Amino acid sequence: MSDAEPEHPDLAAQERSEEPELDRGVVEAWAAKMISNPDRAYKSLFYIATIFFLLTTLYPFFWLLMVAITPSGSLNDVGVLTPGGFNPEAFIDIFQLLPFHRFMFNSFLIATVSTVLVLFVASLAGYVFGRLRFRGKTPLLLTVLVVSFFPPAAFFVPLNRLFNRNVDVLRPLLADGSLFNTPFAIVIPVSALYLPLSIFILMTFYAQIPDGLEDAARVEGTTRLGALFRVIVPLSAPGVATAGVLTFITVYNEYFFSSLMTDGRPEMWAPMLEGVLAFRGQYEILFNLMAAASIVAVLPVAILVIVAQEKIVSGLTSGALKE
Amino acid sequence: MASVTLDNVTKAYGDEIAVEDMNLEIRDGEFLTLVGPSGCGKSTTMETIAGLTQPTEGSVYIGGRDVTDLPPKDRGIAMVFQNIALFPHMDVYDNISFGLRLRKYDQEEIEKRVDRAAEIVQLGGMMDRMPEEMSGGQRQRVAIARAIVRQPDVFLMDEPLANLDAELRIHMRTQLQRLHRELDTTIIYVTHDQAQAMTMSDRVAVIDNGHLQQVDPPLTCYNAPDNLFVASFIGSPAMNFFHGAVTDDGFGSEFMNLGFDPEEIGATPGKDATLGIRPEDVYLKRDREEATVPSETIKAHVDVLEPMGDEVFTYLLLEEDVETSAEGRGEGQLLLSLDPQTDIEEGQKVEVVFDRHEAHLFDSASEEAIAHSLA
Ligand SMILES: Nc1ncnc2c1ncn2[C@@H]1O[C@H](COP(=O)(O)OP(=O)(O)OP(=O)(O)O)[C@@H](O)[C@H]1O
Ligand SMILES: [Mg+2]
Repeated sequence: MSDAEPEHPDLAAQERSEEPELDRGVVEAWAAKMISNPDRAYKSLFYIATIFFLLTTLYPFFWLLMVAITPSGSLNDVGVLTPGGFNPEAFIDIFQLLPFHRFMFNSFLIATVSTVLVLFVASLAGYVFGRLRFRGKTPLLLTVLVVSFFPPAAFFVPLNRLFNRNVDVLRPLLADGSLFNTPFAIVIPVSALYLPLSIFILMTFYAQIPDGLEDAARVEGTTRLGALFRVIVPLSAPGVATAGVLTFITVYNEYFFSSLMTDGRPEMWAPMLEGVLAFRGQYEILFNLMAAASIVAVLPVAILVIVAQEKIVSGLTSGALKE
Repeated sequence: MASVTLDNVTKAYGDEIAVEDMNLEIRDGEFLTLVGPSGCGKSTTMETIAGLTQPTEGSVYIGGRDVTDLPPKDRGIAMVFQNIALFPHMDVYDNISFGLRLRKYDQEEIEKRVDRAAEIVQLGGMMDRMPEEMSGGQRQRVAIARAIVRQPDVFLMDEPLANLDAELRIHMRTQLQRLHRELDTTIIYVTHDQAQAMTMSDRVAVIDNGHLQQVDPPLTCYNAPDNLFVASFIGSPAMNFFHGAVTDDGFGSEFMNLGFDPEEIGATPGKDATLGIRPEDVYLKRDREEATVPSETIKAHVDVLEPMGDEVFTYLLLEEDVETSAEGRGEGQLLLSLDPQTDIEEGQKVEVVFDRHEAHLFDSASEEAIAHSLA
């Protein structure tokens, strides 16, 4: 190619400031505008994505509210955006017809105990995997992680049999010596199942705490365990909060073991899930009560997330700690 | 108050041997300084004494008790870390009182001790600052305060004054010495600063590459270094060396010859040897009376002058065509330190003498010292 050769026609076209008056369709014209002004395209895409996201996540919640405030007689009248009437009594009825608060308390207790258990065990494991060097660490870590890939159903049959067995040593602690119909029947399997995720989160956080700080704590008079809980855990607060909230929410929302490990009666530690489903009577389904119960059940989690959001965001995004 | 003994301690990190077969006895109440080049194993030695790492071989005794398998908290030690290691989530008061609170001292006693420690390190009024809101030097002082409040048997201090400005460093140096005198605590100290090592220590332990080279009072290390390494490491600026051999009637090398009776000092003629002369022991010819036993006159010319304020480092070339390499002093160079008042300029021809009484002779092969005076 010689220099004398004329420039490519496209280059000349690009330098022309005004679009030539071509006969274009609406879409084509719009596309041309967006190409010449990409910032506008990004901005409108951002709004479109945000609106779509808000619609898909918030609309079901909104509709749930519409159903909840509709009197049970006019449930068929619930529209896309409007309730079929106005009767907020459903929010009171759920506590009177059934002790829904007891179901919620059960769930809350189960989720709290599981979270505490998971955080404690995962802290120890996270310390070992994140801060110690020993042979066979990687295979061991992978084995732990593999547990979380198992479908819960794979555990159900053996666990159900185990929990229904009367164990004599447990007799003084539990009514009939079996774990079925106790909070532990849910706490044990879900803790085990969600433990690996927390181990993984805490491990990455604990690994980043400088060795010097642990050394300093140990010289000052703590044991390794003391250094873990006095120095490493507080400094990993975002990670601990993230692992804790994730575990709490997953356990609170858990369906499989929650629906199978109790007989569904609130006094038998049936969780919130059973409470919501309990408004499904033999002859009619009280959709408005179910909706109200669902909304009430979401509240604790929503509050938890709002309270802990700052920590969680920094936990999920940064994961980094300045020395 | 306790003695510390390292008995055949070896510490290996995989293939890397950080400390090898170290035997060191630190007396009760002694101030011992570990010196050596970066990476020679000073911090590793400290960590072994503290119990933060297990020695690969050997044992550690504190106060006559075998502590090799005891955790750090049961060893009666306090440590100032090289990387400071304040707890970032605690304010100054909580940092300093951490150990006392763990040991369940009562509130009044804790406050009294923290106040006292803060006074020593001049940190009054900063008790509720967080570490990230402090300068490096302030953090370092908090770390020192955290160590001294506990009044342990043994202090381990790994470069505790590294981040301080000159004035504060000298102040802290005196404070630490006073503290040492008051508490009578055994102190094991690491520093890169020769002035600290020389002024504060009862004894200095020189380490090179994981091996203990010499443990002696600072002046002994300075005046009678056991080997070439100690001779070159102790003293600033470093000693001048001339590599040559012992002859029948003295020492001979390319640029420097010196007559003496080899038999008298126990040198073997024919063996490779190194002559060492400290810059402080070289004088201009007109000042020759200052040398105890002046040598013969050496002709040289001035290559470079480095005025340091209170003295001028003067680099001489012993012959016109000596090659000067970028790193360190070559064979034909001689460094002396002169009074800044001296009338001298670069390129000038000078005649110098050195003090034979202070000249050192080393066996080049074994690097051991043969004599510390060639008068
Ligand atoms: N945790 C570790 N793993 C592997 N090697 C290490 C470890 N800690 C120290 N070393 C090695 O051991 C040797 C001695 O290190 P050490 O920290 O004791 O040196 P030092 O004398 O304190 O140096 P400096 O003056 O720079 O602080 C070095 O070569 C270092 O690379
Ligand atoms: Mg070090």
